[in-house]
Amino acid sequence: MRSGRRPRRGARIGLNLTSMIDIVFLLLVYFMAATEFKSLEEIYRLDLPERGSAADPFELPRDPLRVTVTTVGPDEYVLRLSGPETAGPRPTTFQELFVFLDGRRRSDRAAGGVFEADHPIIVAPTGRTSWEHAMGVFNAAVRARYTNITFTAP
Amino acid sequence: MSRDRSVQPEPIAANLTPMIDVTFLLIIFFVVVSQIVEVENADLDLPRPVDAASELPDDQPRIVINVLRGAGGDSIGYRMSNQRYMADTAGLEALAHSLAAMYRKNPALAVNLRADRRTDYRWVEPVFQAVSAAARLSGRDDVKGRVNLVVVKEH
Repeated sequence: MRSGRRPRRGARIGLNLTSMIDIVFLLLVYFMAATEFKSLEEIYRLDLPERGSAADPFELPRDPLRVTVTTVGPDEYVLRLSGPETAGPRPTTFQELFVFLDGRRRSDRAAGGVFEADHPIIVAPTGRTSWEHAMGVFNAAVRARYTNITFTAP
Repeated sequence: MSRDRSVQPEPIAANLTPMIDVTFLLIIFFVVVSQIVEVENADLDLPRPVDAASELPDDQPRIVINVLRGAGGDSIGYRMSNQRYMADTAGLEALAHSLAAMYRKNPALAVNLRADRRTDYRWVEPVFQAVSAAARLSGRDDVKGRVNLVVVKEH
């Protein structure tokens, strides 16, 4: 049985929490304002070539497709392609490069493909090329679903 | 008599305990989260490729290497696990040796490479060399030397 007595009326001892809540809210507002939430970061997987590993003696040497990218302005770049099947109109933007690479990849649904999906593609930025433009070329090749993409030293 | 009692009402008081619980929890969350982000990731403006074909990172063990941004397209060095390395041959060698020690402990370790979008490629490429060198230095055949290139995906 709870004590049968009625609670005593009159002066009750209470803790005044107002000032603590003031400070706690101040802290909360400070941390909320000071915290900068990161934008969503994603990754591209890149397997670095294994140095010193023996090459498969039965594999035919394949001429890699080399894409050179040079930064010429804050948002301007120049693409240059060399390698097999690069005759004809050359891509000048990352979107055109994607269309170029995607159209030449051999697949079941599209005719006219000349490259296997694992055809070696070399991204060759110059030393002064910005990382954004180097990633633009890499992204175009990944988007076109090539699997053997490497970076080369400037 | 009940009528008499209603003349002297009980003092109305809000129970503040759950609110204080939640508020403290939020404060602890913000304090902890802001520290983690600061330690691992440098403040960099990452590349934002258009129509990015990137993927979400999986939960395998990884270490972050930041290419710190300098003036123009230059870099002022590299940062891995809160340790600074100079952007010269000696600094890169030290970076490769630290990474090789980590590879010996965990051969499945992946390297997340974060570089500013305006940084020149000549400062980024040495990290690839250092990761390859670390894989070799580790002396283990099962180290693959995998690098994850970190970008920001725009939705």
